[in-house]
Amino acid sequence: MDPEAAKTARESLELSFQMSNILDTGLDRHTLSVLIALCDLGLNPEALTVVVKNCAQKLSSSPPPTPASSS
Amino acid sequence: MEDDDQQKTLDLVKELVHRLLSHNPTAPNNAAQNPNPTDLNNSFRYAVRILSSKLTPSIAPDADAIAESIKRRLATQGKSSKALSFADLYNKFASKTGAGSINNKWAVLYLLKIVSEDRKVSQASQNSALLLPNLTLDDREIGGDSRNSRRGDKGWENGVLVVAKDPENLREIAFREFVDLIKEENEVSEEVLVRDVLYACQGIDGKYVKFDADLDGYVLPENFKVPRSTRTMVRKLCELGWLFRKVRGYITDSLDSFPTAEVGTVGQALCAALQDELSEYYKLLAVLETQAMNPIPLVSRSATSGNYLSLRRLSVWFVEPMVKMRLMAVLVDTCKVLKGGAMAGSIHLHAQHGDPLVHEFMKSLLRRVCSPLFEMVRRWVLEGELEDIFSEFFIVSETKELESNVSQKAKESLWREGYRLHSMMLPSFISQPLAQRILRTGKSINFLRVCCDDRGWADAATEAAAAAGTSTRRGSLGYGETDALENLVAEAAKRIDKHLLDVMYSRYKFKEHCLAIKRYLLLGQGDFVQYLMDSIGEELSEPANTISSFKLAGFLESAIRSSNAQYDDRDILDRVRVNMMVQSTGDRGWDVFSLEYDASVPLNTVFTESVMAEYRRIFNFLWKLRRVEHALIGAWKTMKPNCITSNSFVKLQGAVKSQLLVTLRQCQVLWNEMNHFVTNLQYYIMFEVLEVSWSNFSDEMESAKDLDDLLAAHEKYLNSIVEKSLLGERSRPLYKSLFVLFDLILRYRGQVDRLYEGIYELQARNAVSLPSKDKRKSSKQTAKKTSEPPGSWIGEGRKALTQRAGEFLQNMGKELGAIAKEYTSLLEVFLSELPVQQHIDLKFLLFRLDFTEFYSQLHPTK
Repeated sequence: MDPEAAKTARESLELSFQMSNILDTGLDRHTLSVLIALCDLGLNPEALTVVVKNCAQKLSSSPPPTPASSS
Repeated sequence: MEDDDQQKTLDLVKELVHRLLSHNPTAPNNAAQNPNPTDLNNSFRYAVRILSSKLTPSIAPDADAIAESIKRRLATQGKSSKALSFADLYNKFASKTGAGSINNKWAVLYLLKIVSEDRKVSQASQNSALLLPNLTLDDREIGGDSRNSRRGDKGWENGVLVVAKDPENLREIAFREFVDLIKEENEVSEEVLVRDVLYACQGIDGKYVKFDADLDGYVLPENFKVPRSTRTMVRKLCELGWLFRKVRGYITDSLDSFPTAEVGTVGQALCAALQDELSEYYKLLAVLETQAMNPIPLVSRSATSGNYLSLRRLSVWFVEPMVKMRLMAVLVDTCKVLKGGAMAGSIHLHAQHGDPLVHEFMKSLLRRVCSPLFEMVRRWVLEGELEDIFSEFFIVSETKELESNVSQKAKESLWREGYRLHSMMLPSFISQPLAQRILRTGKSINFLRVCCDDRGWADAATEAAAAAGTSTRRGSLGYGETDALENLVAEAAKRIDKHLLDVMYSRYKFKEHCLAIKRYLLLGQGDFVQYLMDSIGEELSEPANTISSFKLAGFLESAIRSSNAQYDDRDILDRVRVNMMVQSTGDRGWDVFSLEYDASVPLNTVFTESVMAEYRRIFNFLWKLRRVEHALIGAWKTMKPNCITSNSFVKLQGAVKSQLLVTLRQCQVLWNEMNHFVTNLQYYIMFEVLEVSWSNFSDEMESAKDLDDLLAAHEKYLNSIVEKSLLGERSRPLYKSLFVLFDLILRYRGQVDRLYEGIYELQARNAVSLPSKDKRKSSKQTAKKTSEPPGSWIGEGRKALTQRAGEFLQNMGKELGAIAKEYTSLLEVFLSELPVQQHIDLKFLLFRLDFTEFYSQLHPTK
């Protein structure tokens, strides 16, 4: 990527992250970037939302996992 | 390229899942932790499944629109500063075009939007309780939610990290507390309470709401936990139940005590009317009960509603029955102790109310209640029947029996005392004059039936009914038709009264009897009185106990026969009788003699015992007056100049002659005075008192409309006679002096008689002791006052004769002088008392007695 594009991308991400914070979505930068990439690829944002929600639920319902050895 | 994309997509998704699942803010060192591989795989598989399900987004890919909606949402949530910042950011974001920029901006925005909304919804649904008690809560979620909420807020709220309770969530927390409170308080659900209240309003105890005899009301006992507002509302609604109990209690009491005859027909009518009202009320309650089962049909399917009937709805339904029940309870309270007409009257008073609902209700009640009363009135007025077992009517009969063989006394007093008005039982919508008229009409019918044996009143009654537009059947009058009642009563009264008066006048010849009384008892028939006086005069001077009334009756008969009275009606003449009053020793016949008139039924309603006693008093007075007049006339007869007296002038000596002259003159003068007095008094009594009163009475008799008028007229007549002829209370001292005068006059008469006897005797004596020529003109020896028998000095000389004559005359002169003096003084007393009297006619008497002002000049004290 040329630095221009990178800069744009970075700025866009920054802006998106700020917007997401305003909207109180609870997403961090990295997750957001992945999501944006997926959206850009043309996936359905509603489906992505469902995934996010599902994972969030799973996260809140399951006990905090002990540090396990990476498999 | 597609595979590439797909691989890239899968990788990205894996990465996403990994990151999401490892994102665990409660970890102490905040490092990304490795999630459970099973979880990870599961999630990955799920994510792939979802993402490949080709769900299309449901909105149009318009980034601006999405941004707008996000801004709006932020603004409505009150976070306008955030909205502004967002707008700013979006502008910048949207302006980033070219390489490296995001192509599907809309997707990003949409994603953010949905994620944030979801978060909000999940937070909200975890701790709010918008609907009341029926939602379940999950405590774990509450706890988790607080963690979530803490997690979600970083740095954008005025730069302060809020760790404790989130002010944004205050509303939700308040809801939470409220739900807890409700759960605590509400043991009993509303629909059960509604059913209980409905039971209570029929007087039955429900599961929770019971009648408490101490508090005298329906209460929800304290041990059930209900919020205070519900408790108050239940209490208010149960007032209806309390009122209902009261009314129903009254009805059952009355029905129970009916056999003991404490509750009259009016009371029964009231009970019937109340029962009808209660059956209406039951209908309402039945409808409400069925409604209580049904739920409300609602538009949205998601919400559930309670039953249709809540306590509030019930209170709206109960407004009208509450008013009516309250009225009925008030009525029941007032009418518990009343009976009959009084009850009707008090209900009528309650009906004077401005509210049309109350007015109508009371009117309908009254119509039922008054029907027995009106029926009684109708029967009384048209038939004279009093059918009043429970003594509720306002006309009370005082006679014990009204059979045809009732005693004379009862018959006589039937009119005056047989029936009277019982003002306690008089309802207030029947006025006093109307009640009087009703009383009189019924009384007249009874009077006609009992005393006059007359049957003609039935026709009059039917005529009256026809004229008034009602019939003689039952039930044709009702309350509220007081005008119709008045009409009926007026017509009936008019006809019956007329009929009664006709009967009185034509069949019983009332007028003739009155006239007869006037002529005989009040000495109107002059010639008859004269003859009577002439014939009984001597008899009556005997002591009273030697006189037999048969003899007197004989005299009466002969007097009637010899006067114009014989042409009178035989029936009337039969009624005139001699009556010897109660005698005490030393009475002369004059004191005990009186005439009486025998009045039979029905006339003795007018001529009662007391009335006849009055007549007797007047008769006595008039008789005394007549006697005095008679005495004076007799004296005049003796005093007429005649041969005997004139002869004595010739024969007697000079001294004696002058004395004789003087005495005679004195006698004459005195006689004149007395005569003047007596004549004028007689004239006054006969004409100014009796005749005037009689003519007034005749006029009133003509114009009398009913028997009450007649009685009143007759009483007035008698009273005026009594008043004017000095027999009244106020004239008592006058009366006494009058009688003293009368006695004096009688004494005078005696003196005159003696004087003339003396003169005749002297004549005779003169004639005896003189030569034969003068034998006729004999003068008499005079006897002294303590007289020797005349004629015992026959043969004495002339001188002795003269002497005796002289003495005699002297004595007589003295006597007469004394009498004269006494007379003048008494007359002066009488005349001085006369003007003090109130009655205007007595002034005329004074005028006549003193028209030359002779007496007032004699004693010019004024």
